[in-house]
Amino acid sequence: MTNKLELVCPAGTPASLHAAVDAGADVVYLGFRDETNARNFPGLNFNRKELAEGLEYAHANDAEVYVAINTFPEAGNPEPWKKAVDDAAKIGVDAVILADIGLADYAAQTHPDLRRHLSVQASASNPEAIKFYREAFGVQRVVLPRVLTLPEISALNKEIDVETEVFVFGGLCVMAEGRCALSSYATGESPNMTGVCSPASHVRYEDEGDRMVSRLGDFTINAFAPDEKAGYPTLCKGRFVTEGRASYLFEEPTSLNAAAMLPELMEAGVTALKIEGRQRGRAYIAQVVSAFRKAVDAAAEGLPIPQLNLDSITEGQQKTSGAYEKTWR
Amino acid sequence: MKTSKLTLGPNLFNWKAETWRDFYFRMADEAPVDSVYLGEVVCSKRSPFYAQYIPDIIERLEAAGKEVILSTLALIMTKREMESVREIAEAEGYMVEANDISAAALLEGRPHAIGPFINVYNEGTLAYLTRKGATRITLPVELESKSIEALAKSTSAELEVQIYGRLPLAISARCYHARTHQLSKDNCQFVCDRDPDGLDLDTLDGEPFLAVNGVQTMSYTYCNLSAEMEAMAKMGVSHFRLSPHSGDMVKIAQAYRDLLDGKSGIAETEDIISEQSDDMPFSNGYFYGKEGVVTEGERAELGE
Amino acid sequence: MSRTSSMTPPLTPVLLAGMAVRPLPLAPLQPILKGAMNAIANRHPDVFERLSCLDDPVFLIDPTDLPFMFLLTPDPLMPELKAVRGEEEEAINATATIRGPLLKLIELLEGETDGDALFFARDLVVEGDTEAVVALRNAVDGAEINVMEDVLSFLGPFARPAGGVAKSAISLMARAANDLEMLRAAAISPALRQSEIQAAKLKKLNEKVDGISRQSRRKRVREN
Repeated sequence: MTNKLELVCPAGTPASLHAAVDAGADVVYLGFRDETNARNFPGLNFNRKELAEGLEYAHANDAEVYVAINTFPEAGNPEPWKKAVDDAAKIGVDAVILADIGLADYAAQTHPDLRRHLSVQASASNPEAIKFYREAFGVQRVVLPRVLTLPEISALNKEIDVETEVFVFGGLCVMAEGRCALSSYATGESPNMTGVCSPASHVRYEDEGDRMVSRLGDFTINAFAPDEKAGYPTLCKGRFVTEGRASYLFEEPTSLNAAAMLPELMEAGVTALKIEGRQRGRAYIAQVVSAFRKAVDAAAEGLPIPQLNLDSITEGQQKTSGAYEKTWR
Repeated sequence: MKTSKLTLGPNLFNWKAETWRDFYFRMADEAPVDSVYLGEVVCSKRSPFYAQYIPDIIERLEAAGKEVILSTLALIMTKREMESVREIAEAEGYMVEANDISAAALLEGRPHAIGPFINVYNEGTLAYLTRKGATRITLPVELESKSIEALAKSTSAELEVQIYGRLPLAISARCYHARTHQLSKDNCQFVCDRDPDGLDLDTLDGEPFLAVNGVQTMSYTYCNLSAEMEAMAKMGVSHFRLSPHSGDMVKIAQAYRDLLDGKSGIAETEDIISEQSDDMPFSNGYFYGKEGVVTEGERAELGE
Repeated sequence: MSRTSSMTPPLTPVLLAGMAVRPLPLAPLQPILKGAMNAIANRHPDVFERLSCLDDPVFLIDPTDLPFMFLLTPDPLMPELKAVRGEEEEAINATATIRGPLLKLIELLEGETDGDALFFARDLVVEGDTEAVVALRNAVDGAEINVMEDVLSFLGPFARPAGGVAKSAISLMARAANDLEMLRAAAISPALRQSEIQAAKLKKLNEKVDGISRQSRRKRVREN
């Protein structure tokens, strides 16, 4: 049962797509340049022509392309989302990654032959939820929320007949994905509605001489001494005060790195591994993808996982195995 | 707006079991609300403490002519949690509120409620869920008026919007109350019971920002849509939800009821609610398509 | 040698070191930057398309090891890059400023390094409109820019022979970076130096939560 794990890699630009494919990605996932995807960042993502060209490049190199259409369509304005699904189908992508029930319904009805995956943003964290998406919309794969432990993933896989994809590297949501409005509370923009979390348009870094402060909207998210490692002020990675004590209450500014767990993830019945970071540069993508290519190949051969040397590119330059270990909770 | 219904949402905090019971008894006897949501939404570890009182509370609420809706968990991760939700979903003769899509799937084919933790952002999703039997949908907190209006226009199902109380903004596998007290979730000692309205979370500059409620993260501000109820009623929102706090919810419910019935104005309502909310700052920004934390519209001119 | 030096890419270590120690007129630099910008605009029009989400941004790019900065106006029709002096910074109403060592900035431009990683390590400092910086970073990263090739392409017929010169110039530049570091520490970037001196006292101020007077938790009583 030890099939080789599929390596699903991010791309925010055609250059990143080339980098990912060249570094050995099995699949590249990406989004259109609008609010239909959960990395709707300025200057990022693909127009239709770039997608078509990227798909051609990927297919020529035995790689696939998935398109994430994983925000929740706005009431009264369904067209951009429907069009995204239609265009992805027309261009011939290998799968679409969806989060919204209404949109999944639309895709299943309108494009029954288009492979449908369930985005992590749908937060399907138990077998019954996954079975629902399977039966209702013919979803063939679910990207698991980053809240489950390894044993929970293993147990889950025994109860469902849907492929599972799990995050192994990159930024880590500490809240159940698709169920977090922290960003919009401070900025008016959220992953669910506009495809951004802690948007750069609301971020300010202020040098106060004795400290550098990062703000999101009107709120101080963190403050750093000049020699201290800094991070982007993602709301849940900030330093806050409860009971008179300052701490990274929600999460330290760390990156997920589950490379060491690849054998266990295979054992747990996982189909695919996902690398986070469509907003990161192609240097990051080339480095992470080639490291994980080696790791996945080693795991498939039953060999020890090689050292990946990815510390310098992880956020805050710390890493965690995240929710996969119960102590995280 | 006399036909508008007031509801009491599920208590999201960890109150002592007896406090919890007495609260609902009093709500049954005195609060001018039409429906009461009952049950654990936030953390499955809490419900064993008060579960024993639920039958009595249901009886008392029903005797008082109030509709009872059984609420279910928002984040379901373990078999045990799923089983507890399944038990509730199978309860005969009760309306159940699903807060995870798995619960909605269990309730398919019979009338049920959809809670604010299921993402109903658009007409397509709303239509799908109502086709499967959902008859009342409480909308996600971050929707703005134009979305609420579009949704109301598209459906004959009852729509509900939270108009009072801290906003539930996020839920996690991690317990932040336990982390605050440097405890693990498995050995949390139920420290969330120390904060009946949630634990204040400040920025490094000492500015109040959010509130921690176990695995849930909430707004520091209390949502207050007193001035927006009329507009929502016109759009077709039929139910207005009060989220329980430790203030006098009878007085708070009465204040909103009086406002709905045209017996009092916004300013009077504001005074009562403010007094019963420990003078906490209010917010209504989401309704106006702004940051959830801000106050806009008529109430912004009340001299805040 | 005059021919070689005229073809040398704009920022050789020799040139930089020269600038570092004595005030250098920036005027001779401007046509070179203009040419480089045109070359990039011709070869990578998508950079400017990706920036179209911004409202006429102006970027100030401050290599902290150089005595001057670059002003970038990525107007899709007439993109402009010019050198400006530190004293002019106040007068320029930049949308955003990006500060960092020159070599890191070039690596970033070429997508050879990850902007987020640089920032996490505090190699880059960003001021002003963060969205604009993120957009610029994303746009540039998506363009597969090669400074050498792009600049050489603008040098036209001399590009080939100059290629070798340029490459060795880059490696020279890398080696000279250490020397520049010394120069910088000595005189070039007083602001940076000052912040280093402050470092010690900064630390203890970090997380000074207790001393900060907490804002009023409750709203003021409403005036009627």
